[in-house]
Amino acid sequence: MSTLTALARAQARAGGEAQPLALVRHLHIAERPLVFIPLALAGEANAPLAAMIGDEADSPRLLVVNQPRNRDERFAFAAELARVVVPYLEGFATQAEDVASGGGETRPRFRYAPQVFMPSRASIGFARLLGRSTRFRRTDGEYAVDAAVPVLGRWLSFLAERAEHPGSCLLVAATEVLSLHWASGQSGLEDLNLAALMAWIEPPGGLTCLQAAAAAEDPLQWPPAGPATDPGFDNEVLAPLIDAYGRADGAAALQRAEAALARALSAQLLPTWGLMWRSIALLRALPAGGHVGKRWDEDRAAFTSYVSYLRDGDGLPQPRRDGAVAAARRLSWLERAQASYAAQRAFDDPLAMAEFRMSGEAFAGRVVAAEPDRLDTSGRRRTLRPRITVETTDPLTVETGTELRAVTRLTQRATIVSVEPGGPGEPIRVVIELAGGMGRSLVAEPGTVPETGEWLCYCSLPLGYQPVTDFPATNETPWTHGGPPVPALPADEDAVEDWS
Amino acid sequence: MYRRAVASSPEALEQRIDELRAAIRHAATAGDRARARELRAQLRAAESDWDSAVAALERQSAGAAAQQVSAAPAGGPLLPVREQVHQALTLVGVAAAPRLIVAVHDAFFSGPLIAARLTSLRRDEERSFRSAPYARAYYLTAALTADLLAPARGLLAVSTWPLERRVIGPLSPRVDYLTAAIAVASSVRRLPVTSADADRLLWRFAVNIPGAQPGGRRADPETVARAACAELDVHAAQDQAHRQAAAARARAQLDDAGQLFGSRLQAAGGAMSASS
Amino acid sequence: MSHTEARLDQMRGAVPPRPHNARTIAALTSNPGCVRRAILDAAGVDKPKLAAAAGFPAPFGQSRFAITRGNAFEAQVKANGCAELLRLLREQLGLPVPEVSYDDLEEVAASRSLQLRHSRTRQLLTRAAGSGTDAGTLFDHPLLALEVGGRLAYLEPDLIAFRLRGQFHVVEIKSFAAIDGQADSGKVAAAAIQSAVYVLALRQLLADVGGAGLVADEVFLICPENFSNQPMAARLDVRKELTVLRRQLSRLDFIAELVEAFPPGISFDLEADDAGVPRRPAAELADALAMLPARYMPECLASCEVCRFCRNEAQATTAALGRTVREDLGGVEYVDTALGLASGDLEPDLDTEDAAAILQTAARMRAESLGAAG
Repeated sequence: MSTLTALARAQARAGGEAQPLALVRHLHIAERPLVFIPLALAGEANAPLAAMIGDEADSPRLLVVNQPRNRDERFAFAAELARVVVPYLEGFATQAEDVASGGGETRPRFRYAPQVFMPSRASIGFARLLGRSTRFRRTDGEYAVDAAVPVLGRWLSFLAERAEHPGSCLLVAATEVLSLHWASGQSGLEDLNLAALMAWIEPPGGLTCLQAAAAAEDPLQWPPAGPATDPGFDNEVLAPLIDAYGRADGAAALQRAEAALARALSAQLLPTWGLMWRSIALLRALPAGGHVGKRWDEDRAAFTSYVSYLRDGDGLPQPRRDGAVAAARRLSWLERAQASYAAQRAFDDPLAMAEFRMSGEAFAGRVVAAEPDRLDTSGRRRTLRPRITVETTDPLTVETGTELRAVTRLTQRATIVSVEPGGPGEPIRVVIELAGGMGRSLVAEPGTVPETGEWLCYCSLPLGYQPVTDFPATNETPWTHGGPPVPALPADEDAVEDWS
Repeated sequence: MYRRAVASSPEALEQRIDELRAAIRHAATAGDRARARELRAQLRAAESDWDSAVAALERQSAGAAAQQVSAAPAGGPLLPVREQVHQALTLVGVAAAPRLIVAVHDAFFSGPLIAARLTSLRRDEERSFRSAPYARAYYLTAALTADLLAPARGLLAVSTWPLERRVIGPLSPRVDYLTAAIAVASSVRRLPVTSADADRLLWRFAVNIPGAQPGGRRADPETVARAACAELDVHAAQDQAHRQAAAARARAQLDDAGQLFGSRLQAAGGAMSASS
Repeated sequence: MSHTEARLDQMRGAVPPRPHNARTIAALTSNPGCVRRAILDAAGVDKPKLAAAAGFPAPFGQSRFAITRGNAFEAQVKANGCAELLRLLREQLGLPVPEVSYDDLEEVAASRSLQLRHSRTRQLLTRAAGSGTDAGTLFDHPLLALEVGGRLAYLEPDLIAFRLRGQFHVVEIKSFAAIDGQADSGKVAAAAIQSAVYVLALRQLLADVGGAGLVADEVFLICPENFSNQPMAARLDVRKELTVLRRQLSRLDFIAELVEAFPPGISFDLEADDAGVPRRPAAELADALAMLPARYMPECLASCEVCRFCRNEAQATTAALGRTVREDLGGVEYVDTALGLASGDLEPDLDTEDAAAILQTAARMRAESLGAAG
């Protein structure tokens, strides 16, 4: 949130339509994403009710739990879901290529990776819980579940964990990613309603955004995207249908009851299904940002890593809680990843860069003077160190000595030599010394030094990779942090968990 | 991997399974993958042996059960609800709520007992008594609160029980719970075939009584009964005193219907007085 | 009856006031600056009905499944003299084995009269406060009361108060799950503040016998563990919530002043005809509502039944876009004002000078960046 995005919202409100917050798309869109929309039964911890899932807009697959409180039916649902999700995911674990991994070595990485779209963070939360509730299940013994179920659980947990990483897009929340690229004319809270948010971005034919957003709040026209269902639907439609299913005796009656439930739940899910594919299309239509490919590489690497862990490793499911070292490492990683993601977006997208121009960490302006031949004679050897003077009206706060990069000249190092504020209403003059990206000699190759009149945008955020902070190995966790964590084995208590 | 020549009992196998699990965790923590793998294979074998051992036991008793079933009355209409409730209450021997009554019935008696049918039972029984007192062999009654001799919320009792058993003092809910646990434990012991419902019911008691907690997969009736007795000793005397005092008051103040179904307040406001 | 009460009754019309419960009292702590809500709540107006009659029905409802599940879990925890709860209290608090005494206050001799239950509750709890160890451990469905804005509100919680080593603890049973020891923080926060309401009420009840200090600041939240029905207990320290509540409740005493500010004829009477349709036209009710100043923000959509009306009223404000948006726009009240300052079409005054400068910079940068795309 910032003045820029607030202003965009205000403009959207006044103008009656969404305003762009990005000029490029900041995530990779897979050729064949999987859309997954779960619905949950109200009042329970994580009781699946139904789901619509598929990798083609024309062929949604509907899964229904006829008796959502029945444990066996829940696990049957999980097994059925697994039979859709796991083959989709593992289908990408085929073509591998070798990529450099430092020190002259290579390691394999799959060329393609899966991408799962869910309506919102709440939906992702449901998937995370579903993963947690299934990954420890035993496939034998008294409370056995289908073998596919714990595999599904591990995958869901992996995806949900990746979704916490800034810049990762293996598992995406539609409302979140849409809000990154467009500002609606309503509040952030109202944006959590996918239909309302889409109403502002692309209203259905014939309606203004305001009209469409108002209609989007009517659950009869636009059922909620889940996992929560509309209480009215629960009370009026769902409860009687579930009762009827429970009372049905005879195959014919059972079949009828099942069909009725399927129809009702399908009707609750189809509108959201349509919205999800429309939102994917909207995002796909934007050109990809420069660093999107690099982040997708990291996603592919994580996917590859997890596939090999499942195949070759213990196959132990993720522990219930992070050990202390893992938690600290993760937090540090997340902070760095967030900063790096923000910097990459800024370099990819003038609108994102504008945030840093507002905060003073970046500035843009025109070159008013240049010394392309300047040499630095202070050291043992003479080096080429041109200087340029840039005039800007941006509220910059960076100081002398700060290192910068220009968006259009990423390989060139720039350092601030001096900052001279102009008088009131006058631009600031920044003198910058350049190094690198100009060839090997003491004469710069043509075009490598900015010329007078050129418009440049310099940013002080580092783009490069930061070294990992040193943490003790997992099995040396100090006793103050609980000692070495015990690896997570499926415990009996998980297998016998008493479902309501 | 070797085959064990002698089939072990389920209890012995359960112990082996526990040991193997502990060993696997140790091996995994120590990073000894090979050992962990080897142990897992043994664990799988032990679990499969357990399945076979339990199945064998069930086959043995299935023979006995088959005879039992044929000796039972021929299938006809289900018992009326009041009979089913009477059966369950007689087994536990204490005033109980519909939830417990249904659980006990499901565990030990055949035929479904639908909880919804119990909601109007007390009212129906009272009406039946008032219209023709003592016409039936027994009535399903309320339990009376010791302080106001009013019908205790949600509890059913049997008219043929002494009044002391049908009054509820402040310690009585707990005392009755422990008494019911003992009754259920002894019924489980007498079952010819293990019943999942009965086991589950016993387990629920065991979890909530200190010292009765099951060590393995099933609750042990002896342990549960012993633990319940131990706690009962703590409360029994005081509870009895409350109940006796309350029963005496009830006999003095209430008529027959009142002693069975409790007294209700007549009018709002003012002193609370028992009515008949 | 005080003058204020008389005016509030007249505002509401000839229907009994909607009773407060812990949730509505707790809700007073959010958006304390909204006069409209304060007065409607104080007068006990039926807000959902009012909102609908004014043309802006409320989007709230409760799913049967959630209710059923909540009731079932509560029943399970309390079954058999609170057997499961006793286990938790013994294991986690060392409740001594002899202390199992259970008193059911949901009915008094089969009557559910509020006054009866309240006086019986008072009787039992004050006796427990005064005496030694054998005067009661668990008190199921006690009926408490709290003075709110000059009116006595009966609180009918599903709580159980229990007594341990002379201290009374409030127990709240909720059916949202704690997975791996963590529950939804919003729900836990809501439970904490509701429990604080009960703590206050319990203290008020015992104050007469000097027992207010016997009520602990720590409450117990009982909820299902992981994905099962097994209950687990968590301690909640509600001192912070108590402070906030006490402050808010004392502010409500100024309702009298607020009420005086309004014309005597103002009324929200929803008297209906035979078909159940309120006699007064929507426009009239809307006008009456509009006379009470409101303080709409998007959070109202989750907590107050009149929200849609207020949102419609506030559609030109920056507050409707969210608190942080409004702050980021320099605290300027109206969207058009912010845009005017940003474009330079509007001259700032002394207060808005700084905001205007920032807004203009932001507008310039957005325009530049969007232009750069071309």
